Formats: sequence, structure tokens, C-alpha cells
Amino acid sequence: MNIEKKSEEKKLELLVSGRLDTTTAPELDACLKESIDGVEELTMDFSDLEYISSAGLRVLLSAQKTMNKQGTMTITGVGEPIMEIFEVTGFTDILTIV
Amino acid sequence: MKEVTGTIRDGSPVIALSGRIDSGNAPQAEAAIQAFLAEHDGSDLVIDAEDLEYISSAGLRVLLRMRKSHSGMRIINAGTEVYEILDMTGFTQMMTVERAYRVISIEGCEVIGQGANGTIYRIDGDNVVKVYNNAEALDEIQHEREVARLALVLGIPTAISYDVVRVGDSYGSVFELLDARSFSLILEEQPEKMDWCVKEYVDLLKKIHRTEVRRGDLPDMRETAIGWAQYLKDYLPAEAAEKLEKLIRDIPEDQHMLHGDYHTKNIQLTGDEVLLIDMDTLAVGHPVFELASMYNAFIGFGEFDHDRVTRFMGFDYKVAAEFWHRSLEAYLNTGDEATITQVENKARVIGYARMIRRSIRRGGMDDPDKKAEIEMWTKELLGLLETEDSLVFTVNLDAENDDDEKDGSEIELEATRDNLPKVMAFVEEHLQQINCPMKAEMQIAVAVEEIFINIANYAYGPDKGNATVRVEVQEDPVAVVITFIDQGVPYDPVAKADPDVTLSAEEREIGGLGIFMVKQTMDDVHYEYQDGKNILTLKKEL
Repeated sequence: MNIEKKSEEKKLELLVSGRLDTTTAPELDACLKESIDGVEELTMDFSDLEYISSAGLRVLLSAQKTMNKQGTMTITGVGEPIMEIFEVTGFTDILTIV
Repeated sequence: MKEVTGTIRDGSPVIALSGRIDSGNAPQAEAAIQAFLAEHDGSDLVIDAEDLEYISSAGLRVLLRMRKSHSGMRIINAGTEVYEILDMTGFTQMMTVERAYRVISIEGCEVIGQGANGTIYRIDGDNVVKVYNNAEALDEIQHEREVARLALVLGIPTAISYDVVRVGDSYGSVFELLDARSFSLILEEQPEKMDWCVKEYVDLLKKIHRTEVRRGDLPDMRETAIGWAQYLKDYLPAEAAEKLEKLIRDIPEDQHMLHGDYHTKNIQLTGDEVLLIDMDTLAVGHPVFELASMYNAFIGFGEFDHDRVTRFMGFDYKVAAEFWHRSLEAYLNTGDEATITQVENKARVIGYARMIRRSIRRGGMDDPDKKAEIEMWTKELLGLLETEDSLVFTVNLDAENDDDEKDGSEIELEATRDNLPKVMAFVEEHLQQINCPMKAEMQIAVAVEEIFINIANYAYGPDKGNATVRVEVQEDPVAVVITFIDQGVPYDPVAKADPDVTLSAEEREIGGLGIFMVKQTMDDVHYEYQDGKNILTLKKEL
């Protein structure tokens, strides 16, 4: 997995690519924890994300919970196989996917 | 129109294509390209495919026409899907097509290994990159990835590259390798571990030599070695050259695996597991070929100049000689010096032939030191050719404990989170072999990760234990069946209540999703507890 971070005042954009699994999810979690303070507009670009497992979903859920208190979170570029996972787990109702 | 953007880069026209080019918009795209080229032409046309998602045959025909008027045309930044289309249609044969690769830097990275074809650097705690010497290394990388996968499926522990990257002007293969130390380093820093290293080294060697490979999957060392003998016809006395070739031809064909470069720098200890790296020399053949290359690595290359062993291996010639001798003793399962020398001499015949040819080809005859070395090897070889009448020997390759033996569709490994990439690579290899659709492959991968991580986290509590993962393919209807076996505490994940997936983020619990996803995406999930084992079976119809 690779994370590219762009931040600008209260906006934070993360470009997450590769595999978001048990091994790599803690890295994304750490990255979010370290940068999410004061962020009002969080965007995660999944255009190059190849794989997500429940460990990755847990990180997204926890980020969504944080952002519900302080602003908005948007997921972009979700491909079909990953969308399928979001649908099966009801995450399409929790996350804002555009 | 937005599918086509023309720019000038370094004086050459660059056409960036984006989105989809198909019969609906190919004529407009072609017109836009022509309009741009009418004003800014040059023979070195570059097509930048970075944002191109799809190209149909109508689009491909436009490219072909472009190429007719621009013979130096090349395509750059082709993504995976576009590259596949170009590859399938033969475009990659007709013109230069460069794939889009991630770029990494190795500045300041520690060198942890050096092979014939490249250098291995540690990028971070978990990952290493093998950077190839040759700038045109993509074919070599592809070859090494394929043979490493093949070996892994056949039960040989190896690191599998998961990404190809650009490093400066060359390419690299990225591997996961946690805290690895090579056997060379261990022997250099902890000489008291010699016994342990010999045992592990020989156990793995026997395992490789017990592994049968489908005919044609790997190159045949016998054929290669016949080529060496023929090369030496111009250099050795005719009678000796003829005998050398006959001795090699008399070695029976053998479809068992050989590593081909089995020395202590290519064996890595990660955690408590022994892994092979540098797999591009994998072949099949009689074990004498392997012993020949091992003899060369430890003794042959240093016979003339002992320091050469130290420079390459890290430890000195005496340690190398002792390690080689004790490994041969363990491999042949004998303490009888006469038997050991007999086998060693057979290996030396092939070993010298190989080294002499290699050195001559690299211009060794023009360098006084190299020439003296070639002459020394030749003298040894000619002496051996007088006494040896066969290069064949027999060896009992049985493992000390037979439960070590496994077939290709099953792996047993310690149930730890660190072993997840190995399980995933094992399963994905099988799925790719049967051309599993992408969506199903992803669902199966997610399910396998959930179940294996569950076992790693909970089955054995704080203790250690193993898990077995088996992959089977059923026909009619076509289905993949994956079985997980562990001997941990009895636990039925199927019985776990499903989470309520209609709740809002605030009400949702962090856990419980994994098993739910497995149940949702698999066609059957079956659990039983039998003879002290948890047996969980997943079935996915394709």
C-alpha cells in the first residue's frame, strides 16, 4: 500500500493505492490519527486501490465516526470490486461515495 | 476534443490520450491528432497513455496509421488494462510500449544482497527491492516472478515479488522480507551456528531436489551443460572434450527441481523461517548439477585466489570449505570420506567446465591472472576426466520427518499475521491458474484473509501453532473450495451472530464484519471440529 497525502488548511486528501489489508491497515490508521485533527473536509481517493479487507473497513469506519463530529468525509474513485465489498457490508449507507 | 491533448516535450510531439477510444470517437480522435501533427510534426511521436482507460480495435487502427507515418512512434505510461490490450494484439511486439510503473529511490538504502543479475536493497522494515543491473530487465523480472510463483506453489519457501517499480534508469522487483539475515551473514557473525546452518541448508536443498516439476516448466540443466561442453571443444584436447560431452550426455534426464545458485547468500532467515531468494536460475536436472554450482560458489571460484570467497561471501575460504564439506556429508547422509570425495569429484567435472567457459567468454584469456586461473582449472579438469567414468550417483532425499511433505495444493505454516502474504500468494496463484474472474478472486481473497487472520489472532492464544490451507478446484459446477485446518481452541465462526449492517456509523461496532463478509460472499461456509482440529471449508462457485 502507498499513501499520498495532500493537505491544505482544513482540507485533507489521501490517495490510497495498492492493498489495504490486515498488514497495511494500521499504517492508514496511523496516518489518519496523525493528520485528522482540525480537518473539516477529508477526501480519500481509491482510484488505485486494488483490494480491501475488513481490517481496512474498520479503519474507514473509525475515520467516518471521527469525521461525523468535525466535518465531512468523501470517498472517490471506487472501482467495481471494492464497491461490491462496500455494498455487502452496508458501507454504501455509511460512507459518502462519489 | 478532450480525448486528445497534444504537447511538445523535448522537441517531440506528445499526444496524450484519455478516457475511452472506441469506434464512437476514433475518427474524431484521429482528426484531432492529425490537426495537431499538421502544425507540430516530428518523426519521434510519443503517445502518452497515462489517462487512457480503454482502446478498442477502431482506436488501435488509428495508432497503426500513426505509426506508418512515424516509424519511431512509442507508447508510454500504459496502465495494466491498456497494456494487456496492446500485448494481446501484438502491439508490444511491433513498437516500444512502456508500462506505467511506480518510481522509487534507493538513495541511502542498505544493501542486503548481491546476485549475478542485481543488487538487493532494503527499502524499509518490511520490504526489499531487487534492482536489476540491466536496464532492459523487464523480461528477466517477469521470468523470475513466474518461476518464484511456480516454486512457491510446489511448496518451496520463497519470497514472491508483489510489484515492479522503476529505479533510476533500471527496474526493480519489490518483495516483502521481514528482518531477513542471509546465512552468509549468520556464518560470518555467529560461527557457533555452523551446525544449525548446515542442517537447515541441507534440509531445504533436499526438499528442492525432491520436488518434481512438470516437463517444460523450467529449463533443463543437462541441455545447458551439454552446451558448455561443446563450447570447450575449441579449447580442450579433442579427446578430453569428447569425453566431457559424453559424460554429461550419459547423465539421465531428471524432472526434479534445482535451484541453480544455491549458496548461503541466497538463503535468508526471516523470523524463524528459512526462505530462498534469487530464483531466476531455477531449473530441472540431476542433483550433480546443483552440487557443481555449490562447489564453485564455496571452493571453485576461490581456489586460485582465496580472498575472492571472502569478498563475495563475507566469511573466509576455510569457513567456506568446512561448510561445503559438512553440507555434502549431511546431503549424502554419510561420514565415509571416500564416498564424499567420489561425489565431489563428479560435481567438480561439471563445475570446472562451467567456470572455464564463463571465464573465457568474459575475456579471461587476455588477463594474465585470469589466464593462470583458467589453466589451473583446466589441469584439474583434465585430471578428473582421466579417472571419472560416470557423473551419476544416488542419494536418499527423504526428509527426516515425513510430515514435512506436501503437495502443491496445500501449505502448512505457522499461524501468524506475518505469514498472511504467503497464504495470499499461495491462494492467488491457484486462482490465476484457473482464470478466476476478478470479482470472485477479490471475494475469495478477502475471505481467506479473514479466516487466516482469525486463526492467527485467536486459535492458539498467546502460544504458537500451525495452520493448513488447502485449495481445491471442483468441476461441474466450477467451484473453488478452500479448507483451513488448525489445532487451536474449538471455535465455530459460522455460529457468530451477524452484525446489523443497516445501522449508522455511530451505532456500528468496529468488529464482526470479517466473518459476515465471508458468509455473504461465499456460496457455502462449513465448520466442523474433528480429532482436535477446527476444519473450516469455504466454497465459491465461479
